[in-house]
Amino acid sequence: MATPIDYEALTGGARVHGSLYRDPAVFERELEAIWNKVWVYIGHDSEVPEPGDYVRRQIGLQPVLMIRGDDHVVRVLFNRCRHRGNLVCNRDRGSAATLKCPYHGWTYSRSGALLEPSFEEGYDSNLRREDFALSAVPRVASYRGLVFASAAATGPSLDEHLGQVKEYLDLFMDVSPTGEVELNTGIQKLRYKGNWKFLPENSLEGDYHGPFIHRVAFELHSRRSGLYMSSLYENAIPDVIRALPGGHMVEDYRGATMAPPQRKPSAARQAYMAMMEARYGADKARQLTSTIPPLVYVFPNLLYIMTHIRRVQPVSVDLTHIYYQPLLLKGAPPEINEARLREHEFGFGPAGLISPDDIEIMERNQLGVRAQGNEWQFIGRGLHRDTLLPDGGASGFTMDECHLRGMWLHYGRLMNRP
Amino acid sequence: MTGAARETVERFLYREARLMDEHRYKEWLALWSDDGVYWVPCNDDDIDPARQVSIIYDDRERLQQRVDRLLSGSVLAQDPKPRMRRVVSNVEIEASDGVDVTVHSNFVLALARGDGQQLWAGRSIHRLLVQGDDFKIRRKTVLLINSDQEMPLLQFLI
Repeated sequence: MATPIDYEALTGGARVHGSLYRDPAVFERELEAIWNKVWVYIGHDSEVPEPGDYVRRQIGLQPVLMIRGDDHVVRVLFNRCRHRGNLVCNRDRGSAATLKCPYHGWTYSRSGALLEPSFEEGYDSNLRREDFALSAVPRVASYRGLVFASAAATGPSLDEHLGQVKEYLDLFMDVSPTGEVELNTGIQKLRYKGNWKFLPENSLEGDYHGPFIHRVAFELHSRRSGLYMSSLYENAIPDVIRALPGGHMVEDYRGATMAPPQRKPSAARQAYMAMMEARYGADKARQLTSTIPPLVYVFPNLLYIMTHIRRVQPVSVDLTHIYYQPLLLKGAPPEINEARLREHEFGFGPAGLISPDDIEIMERNQLGVRAQGNEWQFIGRGLHRDTLLPDGGASGFTMDECHLRGMWLHYGRLMNRP
Repeated sequence: MTGAARETVERFLYREARLMDEHRYKEWLALWSDDGVYWVPCNDDDIDPARQVSIIYDDRERLQQRVDRLLSGSVLAQDPKPRMRRVVSNVEIEASDGVDVTVHSNFVLALARGDGQQLWAGRSIHRLLVQGDDFKIRRKTVLLINSDQEMPLLQFLI
């Protein structure tokens, strides 16, 4: 038997070992120690507004359904017929009166109860329907409409898992004048030939790589929006970068000043601001809308980046799917939401002007880490000036890498846990 | 529409295809009218772009920015540039009111870059402003067959 890998040794001391991105055995271990254990983001409850509405998702490589029952409860069920293991639901999204397995016709209710094994007269009384409901994922919980599930029956609660990151999730939800967001807006789907961990690493260090790969896109963005994006890397601003306990990462821009648009606000914008002030008061409304909301990574698969929720879905050690879902503000004037969609498409998705440069980098990164001359990547920027926080997290200046160190610390611990 | 007019429409579509294949961005942009809208829907062909996300939804200003970025040399997925050739076919002139003509066509695009080739396919719907023997694009909608699949980067003109 091979010597077990010591993951904390491969991730400690501001360095990360290249094998963690390319070794299929590491990927297998991640499925077991991370994806099938921790809270995984499944979707937002606005994606399934009515009873019977469902979307197909995955926990690691396991297929699940998020479906709203007749009791309006959103459930996460394994998408596997209890008869012979066929996928019960083959569509990506839709609305179902019942869930009927196409193979032998076993039919389940919208909450997963077995209604009818086909040709029931062939089974004796040993087949009790209540023993053959679709398996529910052991733990499901939600925070402000974000539905998470854990394939492990025991472990920290969702509340404990999220911890301090809830404060940052609140900041981007609160940009809505009703406090609610909508994610039933379609999904841009993308694939890249690289390891899944490149995505969270890259998504939250745009201040450092921005001047190199996003310079032109940021200039185009600034020209249109009036927000001076490059101020983020021209000035070192303290406490922007945050590592939170639990492997979460944040870029908190509340301390950063980006010159706000000077132009006269549109009628829709004025109406939106009036709604925001009515809900939050003038000071908080201004604070919520005057800078870009924080960029947030909730370990292991949820990102909130500027305009959208981004979901990371590993396929294999060197193939990953990304789902971009722009987030609309419930109750805001339609013009505001339409502008959010256009703002999103400008930057993100397969044809955007910002994130595709990141995707291309991640594919090249996957090729780069095949080289074994010196196997260690260095994530030491700002190590000497980290501010350690009482809750176990840390904060650093714009462009520092303390959040990456925090994510890898958490990763190493999870992977080493028996 | 007369046979001759049909020929001018096809000639226009072939020229547009060639400019896209050969990365001739400035000349391609010059094909557009000032009120042009370039739309690539996401997930389904008949979504409402005011409520649903698109892959591309460019007005003329954004189209200019898209082209400016492609011309800047900073697009990493264009370093090196992919080699592309597409076939435009099944041209059907749907309607013409003397001002605008609406044309449907299919395309198959082969793209070579790095160690691989990609195949892209779909249906284009052009609304063209008639200008004598020539046209300006007022609206171009591209219905990709893979708009609901996990796709590689789309950092070229489609």
